[in-house]
Amino acid sequence: MRILLNDTPIQLATNCTVAELVQQQQLKTEGLAVAINNVVIAKQYWSKHQLQNNAQVQLFQIVTGG
Amino acid sequence: MLHIANKSFSSRLLLGSGKFANPSLTQQAIQASGCQLVTLALKRLQLDQPQDDLLSPLREMNIQLLPNTSGAKTAKEAIFAAELAREALQTNWLKLEIHPDPRYLMPDPIETLLAAEQLVKLGFVVLPYCSADPVLCKRLEQAGCAAVMPLGAAIGSNQGLQTRAMLEIIIEQAKVPVIIDAGLGAPSHAAAAMELGASAVLVNTAIAASQDPVAMAGAFAQAVNAGRMAYNAGLAETQSHAASSSPLTDFLAAL
Repeated sequence: MRILLNDTPIQLATNCTVAELVQQQQLKTEGLAVAINNVVIAKQYWSKHQLQNNAQVQLFQIVTGG
Repeated sequence: MLHIANKSFSSRLLLGSGKFANPSLTQQAIQASGCQLVTLALKRLQLDQPQDDLLSPLREMNIQLLPNTSGAKTAKEAIFAAELAREALQTNWLKLEIHPDPRYLMPDPIETLLAAEQLVKLGFVVLPYCSADPVLCKRLEQAGCAAVMPLGAAIGSNQGLQTRAMLEIIIEQAKVPVIIDAGLGAPSHAAAAMELGASAVLVNTAIAASQDPVAMAGAFAQAVNAGRMAYNAGLAETQSHAASSSPLTDFLAAL
């Protein structure tokens, strides 16, 4: 299946969860937040939430700021 | 002690983490300032760039992290950013800021109040950056904000307490901590804010953009302490005429 990851199309195996996507992308989970189709997904649901075909996944990270 | 929501802080200086030349300098400045509350921001992850590890040192220092909603132009965007920040840092503390205009970065009072009302209901500890408007600050307090953060001057402008007269009214009326945020450009500005009775100040640019941010962080820490001590000691009243502090007797009249 295909998803949009921060606007970039990528191919994924079916039944991929948010947690698996984060792992595949080798991302540090601390300071990371995920939204799918503009809905924030709580960290506790990352391992349960399965991505759907054409999902728009947005990743955000904590940075410095005032 | 500074009490915000259910937490107490011995430092009345909050630090913004932006604009430092590198993460090590940020960390050293935080240590030199003695601050216990540090603001952070959010951005979209750049997949082709490595993630900075700025959080580990802050966690080790036992700092209360205060993510902001900078970049939000509406209440709806701010609430989305707040939910992201809560997940990213696992904290419900939030610096709410909504400033649609990039030139002056003035906070939008209407969107800020709308967002504050909803965020409080969603369980956030909301610290809103806002105009130095006594009525707005009262409304934000009534909405359940844990503090109010009126501006001294435009963000990053280093102009000091341009809003002084309004801040005095806000401080007089507030039942939640008043944290003067934005525009403080020198330790003397921070001291003046504390002498007015502000509960705390938030400083970023004046420290981060100084020639020696670590030394400047220490200078701000001392100024905040001095200002608070002066407030607690009670300033002597100003007079329109001279009032001698030495005896004006006529002991030289015989000459």
